[in-house]
Formats: sequence, C-alpha cells, structure tokens
Amino acid sequence: MIAFTRRQNSLTESRRARQAIWLGLAFISPWIVGFLIFTLYPIVASLYYSFCEYRVLSPPHWVGVRNYVELFSDREYFLQSLLNTAFMFLELPLALILSLAIALLLNMNLRGMAFFRTLYYIPSVVPTVATSILWLWLLNPDYGLINKTLAWLHLPVSAWLNDRTWAKPGFIVMDLWAVGGGMIIYLAALQGVPQHLYEAADLDGATWWDKVRHVTLPAISPVIFFNLILGVIGTFQYFTQAFIMTGAGGSGSVGGPANSTLFYALYLYQNAFQYFRMGYACAMAWVLFILTLLASFIVFKTSARWVYYEGETR
Amino acid sequence: MELIRHNRRLRWGVGLLLCGLLLGAHGCRRAEADGPGVVHLSLWTGWSGQEEKNFERVLRRYEQLHPNIRIRNLGAVSDDTKTIRALVAGVPPDFFQIWDPSYLGPLARNHAIRPMDALFRASGLRESDFVPASLRLCKYQGHLYGMPFLIDDTALLWDKGAFKEAGLDPDRPPRTLEELADYALKLTKRDANGQIVRLGLRPLTDPYMLIALFGGKLVDPVTGRITADDPANVAALTWYKNLVDRLGGIEQVNAFASGFGRDQTASSPFFVGKVAMMFNGEWNPYWISRYVPGMKYGVAPVPPPASRPDRARSTWLGGNVFCIPVESKHPKEAWDFLVWVQSREAQVMFAHDMNNVPNTREVLKARELRTGPPFRYKYAIFLDLADSPNAEAFPALPVTNLYMSQMANAMDRILYRDKTPAQALADVRQRVQKELDEQ
Repeated sequence: MIAFTRRQNSLTESRRARQAIWLGLAFISPWIVGFLIFTLYPIVASLYYSFCEYRVLSPPHWVGVRNYVELFSDREYFLQSLLNTAFMFLELPLALILSLAIALLLNMNLRGMAFFRTLYYIPSVVPTVATSILWLWLLNPDYGLINKTLAWLHLPVSAWLNDRTWAKPGFIVMDLWAVGGGMIIYLAALQGVPQHLYEAADLDGATWWDKVRHVTLPAISPVIFFNLILGVIGTFQYFTQAFIMTGAGGSGSVGGPANSTLFYALYLYQNAFQYFRMGYACAMAWVLFILTLLASFIVFKTSARWVYYEGETR
Repeated sequence: MELIRHNRRLRWGVGLLLCGLLLGAHGCRRAEADGPGVVHLSLWTGWSGQEEKNFERVLRRYEQLHPNIRIRNLGAVSDDTKTIRALVAGVPPDFFQIWDPSYLGPLARNHAIRPMDALFRASGLRESDFVPASLRLCKYQGHLYGMPFLIDDTALLWDKGAFKEAGLDPDRPPRTLEELADYALKLTKRDANGQIVRLGLRPLTDPYMLIALFGGKLVDPVTGRITADDPANVAALTWYKNLVDRLGGIEQVNAFASGFGRDQTASSPFFVGKVAMMFNGEWNPYWISRYVPGMKYGVAPVPPPASRPDRARSTWLGGNVFCIPVESKHPKEAWDFLVWVQSREAQVMFAHDMNNVPNTREVLKARELRTGPPFRYKYAIFLDLADSPNAEAFPALPVTNLYMSQMANAMDRILYRDKTPAQALADVRQRVQKELDEQ
C-alpha cells in the first residue's frame, strides 16, 4: 500500500516536472525563437554563402573556396585592412595600464572621490557615434583642442585623421578617452581585494609597489583577464568610429586617406552592402571569427600562468 | 469605475486613451473618405529638411491635378541599402529614388527594377527633349531604368577678392587648365611659418571633372570594357598630381583641407576665403547669396587643357534617379507621376525651390529661373552648361560602386606617391574588370 502510493507520487512528480519543463520552455520561447531565427540561422547561412557567389539581388550559387582564395591573394585591400585592425591592438596595453592606473588612484580614500569616479566614468557612457562626432572636432587640425594643446606645449602637431601615418593613432587617442568602462570594473575588483593581505604585507615591510605587484595585481588578475578578452574581441570588430569619422564626416573616402583607416570590419561592410559581394563578405566574416577564436584561445591558454582565482593553490 | 473616479492619474490616462482612439478612428475615416478609385502610392526619397518640404510641395500639386492619386512620401531615405533590403525582401515601395545613382547598374543587372523603354515611347516623351547626360545616368546597357528629376553639374567658381590680392584680373578666369594651375599657385597664400592659409584651388575629392576635361573614358562605349587607365585619364591624374606637388604635396594640402567646414553652411571653405577657386555645383550661388551676400565671385566653365580645346564647356553631371521596382503594386500610376515631373510646371517649380538644374532642355532656358535675385544670373551659367555636348556622367554599371571607390583610392595612391598614375589606374582597371567579368 505504501509502496503503491509512493509510486503514484513519483509519477505525478515526474509529470509535474515535465510540465514545468514545457512551461519553462514556453516562457523562454520568445528568446529561443529569436535566437534560432535571427542568430543561429544567419550564422549558418553565412557559412554557406561564404562558399557562394552571392550578389544579394540574385540567388547565390556555389563557387567552392574561391572567395577564400581571393581573400588571401588580395594584398592591397584584405591584407591592408587586416594590418590596420592589427595596429589597433596597440590600444589594448595602453588602455589596460591607463584604466588600471586611474582605478588605483580612484580607489584611494579621499574626500570627493565619488565626484572623480563619476567624472572619469562619464565618457564611457557616451554613445560611440556621439563620441566620434565630438572627436572629429577635437582632432580637427586647425580648430581642434588636441592640436591647440600640443601647439601650446610647443609639441609637433599632426593632421590626425587626414594624415595616413597619424590617422590610426588618432583613433587610439580617442578610444583612450573612454577607458572609464574598464576602469569601473577594475575599481570594483580593487575593492574586493582582501584587506588582511595588505595588512600582512605591511607587517612584512612591503613598499607601495610591492603591494601592487604581489597583492593587488594577482588578486584582480581574473578581471584583467576578462577585460583583455573583451578588448581582443572588440578590437577585431573595430568599425563604428572609422565608419563615422572618415568619408562623409571627415574628408575624402571612407577608410582613407589611402586606405589607412580601412579596418577589417569596414572593408567587410563595404563588400557586403556597397559592392554587392555578400559571399566574399561572409568569407571575410568567417576568417574574422576564426582569428578572434584563435586570439581568445591563446589568451585563455596563457591565462593559466598569470590568472589567480581565490582559493587556488600553486 | 469607482477606481477611475478617485485616481486622477488614471483618469488622465483613460482620457488620453479615448482621445487617441478618436483620432485613430478619424484617421481611418479619412482614408475611407477617399472613396473608390483613389490609388495610394508609396514613395521613398532621400531628401530631408527643407528639400523634403520642397518636394512635398511638388507632390501636393500633383495630387491637386490628379484627384484620384495620393502619394505618401517617406523622406530621408538617403541610405540606398535600406531600399535594396526592401527590394530583396520583396516589399519595396511603389517607386523610389536612388540617392546614389551608382546603385542603378546593380539593380538593373539583377532585374530588380523595371525597364522603362516601352513606357517612355508610349508616353510621348522624346529623348531629344532631355539633357543628354541626364538620361545616360538612367540607362543600363542602352535600356532606360530610371527617370531623372533635376540634376547637378560642375563649374569653376572663383573668388574675385583673392584674384585682386594676387594681382590677377578678377574678371578674367583662366582659359586653359595649365593657366588654372598657375593661378592656383599664385593664389595660394602662406603665413610666416610657411603654413598654407589659402589654397588656390580646392582639393578635388574625385577625378571625374578632370576626366571630362581631358576627354577621358571610364568604359569603352563599344566593347563595354573598363578603361580606367585610358591615356586621357592618366593625363588628367598626372596633371592633378603635379599641381598638388607644386602646392606643397598631399600631406600639406590635406592638413589644410581637414580644417574645412561643411558645404552649404556659412563655414564652407570658399565662402570664408580658404580656397580661391573650386570646381563645384549649381547650389553655390544661392548659398553665397544667403551666407556671404557681399562676396564678389565669378562662375565659368572649367577650362580644358590647352591640347584639348574641343573639350571646352565640359562638365560632370550627377543627380538622383527615380526607379520603379519590379514588384511595385502600381507601376502605371508611378510612371504617370514620373512623366509629369518632366513637365515645364514641375521642373520649374522644383528647380526654383531647390536651385538645382532642370533635366529637360526647354526648362533650362526658363525665364523664371534666370531672373529675379542677382544670384540667379550666376546660377544660369550652370543651367547653360548642363546642355553642353561635353557634359558627362558616370556610366551605369553593375560595379559602379566598386569602380568609384577604386578610383578614389587610386587618387590617394597617386598623390601619396605609392604608385604612378598609369600603374594605379591600370590596377583599377584590372580589379574592376575582373569583378565585371564575374557578373
């Protein structure tokens, strides 16, 4: 009798569990359907199109690996755009050091710190488009504040976005203005570093630098790692700033002067939406995906050596 | 009900909701009130702001004359890829304007828009009534795929004040391109540090006006092959490279040019004296009259090189083109509108408001456009120039967009001394021809 009831109980329970699963699925179905239709399907389709000649207005037809062969034999555009994007990786260590340094300063216990924290964070909440338009003026060789300041300090000035050597550094300077996003994450991490480690270090007579080097950095290394991965992915996708600030907004053609700001994603966009070479653009997108994957993988692999998690023993 | 009576905020909300419903019902009723037989046309155009208002005025006039037609215009669609996405998705408007005519080729090549040859013949329009280059903008492989409604052309504008300052006769524009280069050098002014403070000629953003002046070709009219490195094109870009080098090199010129304000604003470089001459469009006289009314300036056709006197009165033409998608629900009604905009009334009305160039030859001579405020006399020079036999336009190709950006890049490569003009243009030919062959 008892056994029978128990079995019945477990039956209704499993039915209830199944019901709960279906109900749960029903509730998240808007997301699932959206993901399948608007994310997964385009991803799979783009892989297929990358092996096709697809001119958007007419149906795609299979051409095998032709797009990929063409990609790697194009030095003037494909390789140049890849190198342009690669140049932007210079920004990563600069942004890392700068945001960490600001975070360390803002982590001190001083009056009015909340004000400074807000001040340094604000640029990173300004939309990229607004930032770009603003910096078009700041980087203006004649009227721009950057050149005015440089001239006032008797430093050499540059035409920035109109000079093919200085266009990319111009973008880096602009992006460094918005390091507040990384900074706020570091700041949160710094506040989580256990106080007793500092106290122990103090007892051992550690200097300020010793504490940063041996306590702070290891303790926040998972956060550095996180910012690094985001930075790598973001850099590979560098697009908006160049799209807005060159061509119509700046002078001359998009990606100019002389293709010096034709970043990978920008060239991909041009192929897809201006030259009607969607198949080629899809191939570019997959190459980009693989490069991003590789770079992230390398960062992950090396991370075992320099990222410490709490409770970990070595 | 009790709740509503007691909660003020809720009462407001319900009131607003009821108002909204009432307005909605009213809207519905208005649509119904048009009665049977009224056709609603959807149209996408790129004009925005004041220009959009000018175009709406044209539309309202058309509706007045054709009570059975209502045209709903969606303005500010100057991103043609938006229209193309609608075409691919199979939900285009009844007709639309391509903002950048370089998209006409790909659309025609892929049968996304209707050929208009038969309609054109049946409507009684005559090709000879049109500014020839304006129809060339609309033709793909000899077939008509679009209709123009106003065009733009290019002439030389010079600042008479700067001419006087440089010791040049302010009423005598250069007569050859070589002379123009000399003028450009004389008119370029530097400060004590050698920094440019005024450029003799505004830097060009594309080579097409020069190509027209040298009699160059972009496509072989017989074989249809790409001729980017036509000897005349090479000569054109060589001329320009030499000029830029004599002005101090592209780095210096670019550094100065990057401080230019936007066109059609009070800080446009010609208006503020940063450039003494420029090749530019017919809208300038109006904007000068508005922003720098006291400015003394002249307008004349850009002079050809001494070796090509036959290329006198050359100009480069552009414009926005109207097309009818294959999937249009009302192609007949859309076409009727496009025929009407070629009428004298429509052309004069719109050209007058926009200060652009009409695309029918008869209206180029319209008194209404040539008299009135003083700027109209300078604007009239652009009107005369449009009908010149040397008025050229970019040919419609399935690869026009790629071709144009390749040309822009070639120009950069030449000016930065990466490649010789012949080499850079040969590279363009090769690349664009390959893309064309794959079509």
